[in-house]
Amino acid sequence: MFERLYVYKDLLLVFIWREFLIRYKQTTIGVLWAILQPVSLMLLFTFIFGVVLQTTHKNYPYTLFYFAGVLPWTFFSGATNFAVTSLSGNFNLITKIYFPREIIPLSGVAINFIDYMIGLAVYILLLLFNQVPLTWNLLWFIPLLAMLVIYTISISLLLAALNVYYRDVKLASTFLLQFLFFATPIIYSIDAVDNRWKTLLFLNPLTFIIENMRRVTIEGRGIILWQLGAELLGVVFLYFITYKIFIKIERAFADVI
Amino acid sequence: MRTLSDSVITFQKVWKKYSKQQVLNNSLREELVYMITGRKCRDDLAEGEFWALNDICMSVVKGQCIGLAGHNGSGKSTILKLISNVTYPTKGEIKVQGRVAPLIELGAGMHPDLTGTENIFMNGTILGLSIRELKKRIGDIVAFSGLDDFINVPVKKYSSGMYLRLAFSIAVHSPADIFLFDEVLAVGDEDFQSRCLKRIEAIRSNNGTIIVVSHDSETLKRICDDIVTLEHGAVARGVRS
Repeated sequence: MFERLYVYKDLLLVFIWREFLIRYKQTTIGVLWAILQPVSLMLLFTFIFGVVLQTTHKNYPYTLFYFAGVLPWTFFSGATNFAVTSLSGNFNLITKIYFPREIIPLSGVAINFIDYMIGLAVYILLLLFNQVPLTWNLLWFIPLLAMLVIYTISISLLLAALNVYYRDVKLASTFLLQFLFFATPIIYSIDAVDNRWKTLLFLNPLTFIIENMRRVTIEGRGIILWQLGAELLGVVFLYFITYKIFIKIERAFADVI
Repeated sequence: MRTLSDSVITFQKVWKKYSKQQVLNNSLREELVYMITGRKCRDDLAEGEFWALNDICMSVVKGQCIGLAGHNGSGKSTILKLISNVTYPTKGEIKVQGRVAPLIELGAGMHPDLTGTENIFMNGTILGLSIRELKKRIGDIVAFSGLDDFINVPVKKYSSGMYLRLAFSIAVHSPADIFLFDEVLAVGDEDFQSRCLKRIEAIRSNNGTIIVVSHDSETLKRICDDIVTLEHGAVARGVRS
């Protein structure tokens, strides 16, 4: 999987650079968009759940709580949204020239990752500003981040490939992403959920990832190891399966697109 | 006497099936079934399917320039797509040795919002050049295209002739072993065309292999060693020996 990408690493770099250029060309505030989107969502949620509905909450600021959830979600939904139409939209390339097809959805994951990193810098500032005590449990964030990226790549490849065959995928994915948003503890905490539903929610790897990202950074708590093991196994397994299928059906893309 | 071992492109009993149907709900299911069962393909034609190529055998020797002629839909472009690995044969075997630069449609990798320079990097890496190679060649590419004044302008502001000149310049400067030209020789003004033909000569003298597709049989006769005429996906008139 990696050796075939290695030959084309420059193409991947150029694709990332191209997407980055296209995205921020002819915009006035440029890269600030990367921050504006999650910050405005955070403010919206804080207003609705903190001011309007006055929901009871953890013992730390709403803004921190929502930003911690919104950031990884923005990355995931941004990357998958990009991926869905990435292959079908570039049919003029795909039917003309060969290169590993996954480069296009992967470049979407990469630019959204850059945005995510910019957002994380703001998140760190927010943590410091709120004087959140920093603990060694912060280091758990790294495997969680890796899991998030791997999971995002798998879903991106899957949606991109499926949309080549069935354009229904694009229509369905908009709706499914909305659905998934509520199935992920972004505007609520899994701690507030009844045990009966917890297991169901944990079938979604994003639940585990986002909930624990909040836990290890803001709350200074550790990770439940068996949960990490199970979720990691699931995510890695999904990755290998989707990549294998992708490579297998990739050769037919030019014919069916 | 040329032997088979000299050949850089070999087609052995190549068949390619295409479908006329727009919705290809079956194809994904079929791919997955083949993946699990390890079966190759169905030999029979389902409804709406046809053979775009049937039983093509050919071999091209290094340094040769081969012209592909034939009517629309006779399978010329399909052959180029198979050589460049964009698609795969339904049956048969294809061996290609060396780097392929497909100029199948000039400018396929261009983005209108990017400038000429940016598109050189974009298109160049798609053709398999590395960023370092491109940095080295960018001066030559710009000089060949004759677009010095416009190279930092977004290509959406180019005229179609300028657009094609840039695309062609990128393509012919790739260090590939095999060049595929599909109806691209009718590009630009006379001056540019003569430069293109010179460039083709240069590629040939560097032992590069060229496959040209064209309707213009005069051009083909002028630059090709051999011309293969295709009819309904089969070789009607083969390589002169």
